[in-house]
Amino acid sequence: MSFQDLEAGTRSPAPNRFTGGRQQRPSSRGDPSQEVAAGIFRISTAVNSFFRLVNSIGTPKDTLELRDKLQKTRLQISELVKNTSAKLKEASEADLHGSASQIKKIADAKLAKDFQSVLKEFQKAQRLAAEREITYTPVVTKEIPTSYNAPELDTESLRISQQQALLLQSRRQEVVFLDNEITFNEAIIEEREQGIREIEDQIRDVNGMFKDLALMVNHQGNIVDDISSNLDNSHAATTQATVQLRKAAKTQRSNSSLTCLLILIFGIVLLIVIIVVLV
Amino acid sequence: MAIIFALVARGTVVLSEFSATSTNASSISKQILEKLPGNDSDSHMSYSQDRYIFHVKRTDGLTVLCMADETAGRNIPFAFLDDIHQRFVKTYGRAIHSAQAYSMNDEFSRVLSQQMEFYSNDPNADRMSRIKGEMSQVRNVMIENIDKVLDRGERLELLVDKTENMQGNTFRFRKQARRYRTIMWWRNVKLTIALILVLALVVYIAMAFVCHGPSLPSCFK
Repeated sequence: MSFQDLEAGTRSPAPNRFTGGRQQRPSSRGDPSQEVAAGIFRISTAVNSFFRLVNSIGTPKDTLELRDKLQKTRLQISELVKNTSAKLKEASEADLHGSASQIKKIADAKLAKDFQSVLKEFQKAQRLAAEREITYTPVVTKEIPTSYNAPELDTESLRISQQQALLLQSRRQEVVFLDNEITFNEAIIEEREQGIREIEDQIRDVNGMFKDLALMVNHQGNIVDDISSNLDNSHAATTQATVQLRKAAKTQRSNSSLTCLLILIFGIVLLIVIIVVLV
Repeated sequence: MAIIFALVARGTVVLSEFSATSTNASSISKQILEKLPGNDSDSHMSYSQDRYIFHVKRTDGLTVLCMADETAGRNIPFAFLDDIHQRFVKTYGRAIHSAQAYSMNDEFSRVLSQQMEFYSNDPNADRMSRIKGEMSQVRNVMIENIDKVLDRGERLELLVDKTENMQGNTFRFRKQARRYRTIMWWRNVKLTIALILVLALVVYIAMAFVCHGPSLPSCFK
């Protein structure tokens, strides 16, 4: 679309302005701009192709051939960018020095802007390619050993088989060793479990003892309460008895006084009787 | 004693050994050293023979072996082997790799003897055994506590009986005290009445004399 507008813009003013020297002036002034436009178009196409290759990185299509193609495409785009940049500079110099028309200046500015946008896309594609190349490794196909010689192939296969045999043997030894270690650790764990179980039994016994002790202490608490109530009742009864005895003592003291008084009266009466009888 | 024989070797070369009793453990252990599987790889093994078990531990090319009772289990013998290995490496260091047979026996057999004694008899050698011992002590203390509480219960039974008797006695004492007070009161009443009668009689007799007759004729005329 933008290229169509560019071509329309470049072609439409040509026959109107340069009616006098048509053949000489359009060819000398139109070549850099047209070449820049063509270069930008090719760069854009190459960048799209580069993007397709970059999207294949990390998939089963990712092979060494793909990586080589990526590298070639990158170099091709760099070369195109270099050429187009030189032509763009040439066109801008012609615009500055020569008495170019306003429409042409605007067209060249637009070309420069398009060139910058294409460059940005290329840089983005390059950055993405770099990230993916670091993250993933290409799939090594089996076609590569076909380039070897027959004796080298035999030597390689023999070496590989020997390595596999040694690896298998060492793994078997490791398995035996691990089995021994597992047996040993299981025996240790079994013994530890038994010890812990015995401790658990002892703790359970102690728990039962504590419960029995609690029951007995609770029962004896009731007995102590009975003892306390008995003592309180005894104390109260003794206090009341003491009060009664105190009253009895007071009454007895009064009785003694009365008894003395009676004896005194009898004495006086007896004395009077004796006096009367003697007289 | 749980651990009876101990030995330290490099490969099949015996560097030091000690035996608590006279047995054929030395020859049997040599056979075991020759038959150990694996080439200088770290491992733990246990071989049984009659009533004894040979425990073998190999670490960094140094082999430690001990013969123990079946009742000793595995925790204590292997803890013993770990301890002996550390002490041996700490004491002799790099000399282990180039030592002659039995060259450390004079010095290290005493250490073997001490550690055999420690791991066989001291309950602190194993945390599990120590906890079992402590739980046994706790259980014994609880049994004593229960006995004391039972004894206290019996005494409390006697005490409650005695206090009930005392309560009955004090109730009876109170009743008798009240009765005694009543008796004293009545006696006081009787004496008062008697006194009044005697006084009345005396006054009557005196008036009889003064009025010249028992019927008091002159006083009421």
